[in-house]
Amino acid sequence: MTDASNDLTMAHTTAGSAARAPGAGGAADVAAPVRIRVSNLDKRFRTAGDGVVAVDNVSFDVRQGEFVALLGPSGCGKSTILNMVAGLLDATDGEMAIDADPVVTGKVNRKVGYVFQRDTVFPWRTVEGNIGYGLEIAGVPKEERRRKVERAIEVSGLAGFGSSFPRTLSGGMRQRVALMRTLILEPDILLMDEPFGALDTHTKLEMHKTLLEIWERERQTVLFVTHDLGEALTLSSRIILLSARPGRLKEDFEVPFPRPRDAVSLRETAEFGQLYSHIWHSLGEEFRRTKAE
Amino acid sequence: MAQRKLSILAWQIFILVVLLSVWEWGYDTAKALLPRAFVPSILDPYFIAKPSMIWTSFLKLGCFADPAGFLACYGATPNNLWLATLVTIKNMLWGFLWGASLGVLIGLTLGRSAYLSKIFEPFIVAMNSIPRIALVPLIILMFGLGDLSKVVTASIVVFFVVFFNTFEGTRSVDRDQIAAARLLGASELTVLRTVVIPSALAWVFASLTPAVSFALIGVIVGEFIGAERGLGKLIIEAEARANAAEMMVSIIVMMIVGIILAFIVRRIQAYLLRWQPQFEQQH
Repeated sequence: MTDASNDLTMAHTTAGSAARAPGAGGAADVAAPVRIRVSNLDKRFRTAGDGVVAVDNVSFDVRQGEFVALLGPSGCGKSTILNMVAGLLDATDGEMAIDADPVVTGKVNRKVGYVFQRDTVFPWRTVEGNIGYGLEIAGVPKEERRRKVERAIEVSGLAGFGSSFPRTLSGGMRQRVALMRTLILEPDILLMDEPFGALDTHTKLEMHKTLLEIWERERQTVLFVTHDLGEALTLSSRIILLSARPGRLKEDFEVPFPRPRDAVSLRETAEFGQLYSHIWHSLGEEFRRTKAE
Repeated sequence: MAQRKLSILAWQIFILVVLLSVWEWGYDTAKALLPRAFVPSILDPYFIAKPSMIWTSFLKLGCFADPAGFLACYGATPNNLWLATLVTIKNMLWGFLWGASLGVLIGLTLGRSAYLSKIFEPFIVAMNSIPRIALVPLIILMFGLGDLSKVVTASIVVFFVVFFNTFEGTRSVDRDQIAAARLLGASELTVLRTVVIPSALAWVFASLTPAVSFALIGVIVGEFIGAERGLGKLIIEAEARANAAEMMVSIIVMMIVGIILAFIVRRIQAYLLRWQPQFEQQH
């Protein structure tokens, strides 16, 4: 055991009382079924040389109702892992399963929703058209579609922009559209690839508020890739820390803050600061390793 | 702003009047005032006619000048100006439709399949290297002097323009947008319909405006080389009689046809691409 893991134990005990408080949504329920299972996952990219090992023997489970953040320095393979789980990318070795069904590359699982880091909103569709896209191609009747889209627009704070084209919206609003486009299909598993990575700090906090509100109500199973420690702590109930390339599992710990959380005031609590600085050191080692290479 | 628009319009009218005046009276004035060596022969009405002569020829070709009346003249002249214009537009539109449809269809197919595009690449490059106009005599040999050969010529000319743009447009579709659509439950065909086509549409339309002019060129060249009717035929006949005014009538009619068709294409484009910033105010 390293010093870092001792610190971790301490962080657990200090914040543990909050986790066990009534209404707390932090700790994983061990009785809950496993929704995402990743075992001994490897990914090597063939390049001009010998090939780069991006992901090295990664295993973890995500249980029903967990909000798991996959945290690590840039280039550690965390997005690669997510894309493999989503079936967008082949694994070199290892297995992934969603509800015990093996993930097949190129085959879309209707239970899974995916939110991209890059802006993938369709510029030729209005906000309504974008949000309703999944329902439209699934053949949902127009009236029901309109009702659901209207509600999604309400929930996401896009009221009044329903008939606008995306180019008139800010980056944050476009990402809201992308988020609602996925959420409207009510996936119970949500894969998110740094969805707020391109946004400024203030917009990001606003998005955290919206996402927390939705998640605390719906409790989807979430796997959320990020390199932003504050974001991981604010949103997730568990953080999986990956090492610098090649991505290996470094640490796995609970985020014990009670729910409902407030994206802003949570950051001012002592527990937040303690956990932040603990993980920061652990993460700091990985950043230094990334730079040293 | 309104004042600026007005002044632009005033300048345009002024330039038009000057040009028409020089055209009408420039040669005669210069001949009366200047020594012979300084008279610009390019203004000679023998070569470029005169607006007044063109008007007279228009009345004649358009069956307005016939003492027997418009309808009698219209019936007796198989290639009168109106019929010629109609035939040329008809052939041009069919050529445009066939060429553009095939161009979009094959452009989409090859753009979506790296495998097929690799197979056909050398053939397309080779075909594209042939100056299309060089094919016209061959096409007339194959399809005869009638309208079909003009339609074929126009569609070949249009095809390549539209094909290359559609192909490029299809290949430049954002991969993440396709992945996003897939993850939202879209099948291959739905992706094509809801992502690839709308996204490639900007490229397709960028080629359609020039394609309209190209279709007209295709038909006219076909009519030059061998035809029974059409505006091109009218020009060739006028040339045989060294009648510049009559040639000018056909040329001006083509100009008007070209303007109207380009305008229609641009309106459709502005509506379908209203999500793009450059068409924001126009629809």
